[in-house]
Amino acid sequence: MNILTFLLRSFLMFFVALFFIRILGNGNFSKMTSYKFVTYMFIALIAALTSANVISNLIFGIIALAVWTLLALALDYLCIKSKIMHDLFIGKETILIKDGKVLEDNLSKIRATGKDLLGELRSKNAFSLADVEFAVMEATGELNVLLKSDKKPLTAHDLQRKIAPASKPQAVILDGEIKDDALGAVNLSREWLNTELEKIGVISENVFIGQVDSSGALYLDLYDDNIQIPQNNLKELLYANIQKSKADLTSFTLDTNDEKAKAMYSRNAEKLKKMLDKLEPYLLR
Amino acid sequence: MTVGSKVKQTLATLNWIQGTLRIYADTSENVEEKNTFERSLKVTQQVIADLQFRVKALEFEEPQYKGL
Repeated sequence: MNILTFLLRSFLMFFVALFFIRILGNGNFSKMTSYKFVTYMFIALIAALTSANVISNLIFGIIALAVWTLLALALDYLCIKSKIMHDLFIGKETILIKDGKVLEDNLSKIRATGKDLLGELRSKNAFSLADVEFAVMEATGELNVLLKSDKKPLTAHDLQRKIAPASKPQAVILDGEIKDDALGAVNLSREWLNTELEKIGVISENVFIGQVDSSGALYLDLYDDNIQIPQNNLKELLYANIQKSKADLTSFTLDTNDEKAKAMYSRNAEKLKKMLDKLEPYLLR
Repeated sequence: MTVGSKVKQTLATLNWIQGTLRIYADTSENVEEKNTFERSLKVTQQVIADLQFRVKALEFEEPQYKGL
């Protein structure tokens, strides 16, 4: 066995192993089931042994890899099709805390101590057992925790506040280059972008990152961090102007003696007030 | 400042609001957001129409300030 064949075998096995791992599909280690983990280990081991000439027949090595990959795929398929197989090979989730009480039997089934449980809970930001309503260990070994409803983080829903849905912002300028496809995704044109840049007083070549949100507000980061650019506050301005118009209409109501005009002004002031309430979540977020 | 010119000033502000709302209504992707802006745009248009009518009436009452 000379160095050249060793080199060639290693070279070949690298790609063969890569190929089989790709076929098995992607999974990340923290969420891998045990049999998948064994399969990966086996592929790595066979690949190493074959390239190091411990398994001298190259074909045998590759066949072994293929068989294991096929079996793993077959098992995957079975687990999708059959619930029994799924529970058997991938495992079931185990409830560890129910209604705020620790289920000691289940805890010993997964061979964990109370200390382990507390540690896992802490990693989920539940430092006190009293805060936990329900905790379950998934088949992947991850602990998921449901806090008691009065210990859950406050949401806008709890405050009965309406909040504008946030959608994915698009990076329309990257490294000083205008990205046309990103602009197209938010229905904007190069002309619009150039006008916006002109308003702020920069050219696109000086922009490192330019991002547009769904409502068309542009945020810029320039190469030169010493330059202060005005923040986009068009929405606040819009809100303030509607408020001002509403106040104007209310004062006209007081100014005029004409009954019909009085009614018209106050009706429109009311309309603007309702509009402001609806727009508030979108304009002042 | 006369009442007429005050109303005209408010009318100008409302026209600006209308334009800005139109930009937002056109560019927002989210359906709910778009609808809210479009409805607001309609409300603004109604208010503008009412005020324009009022301005005409005021100009009729005080023709000396017409166009101001």
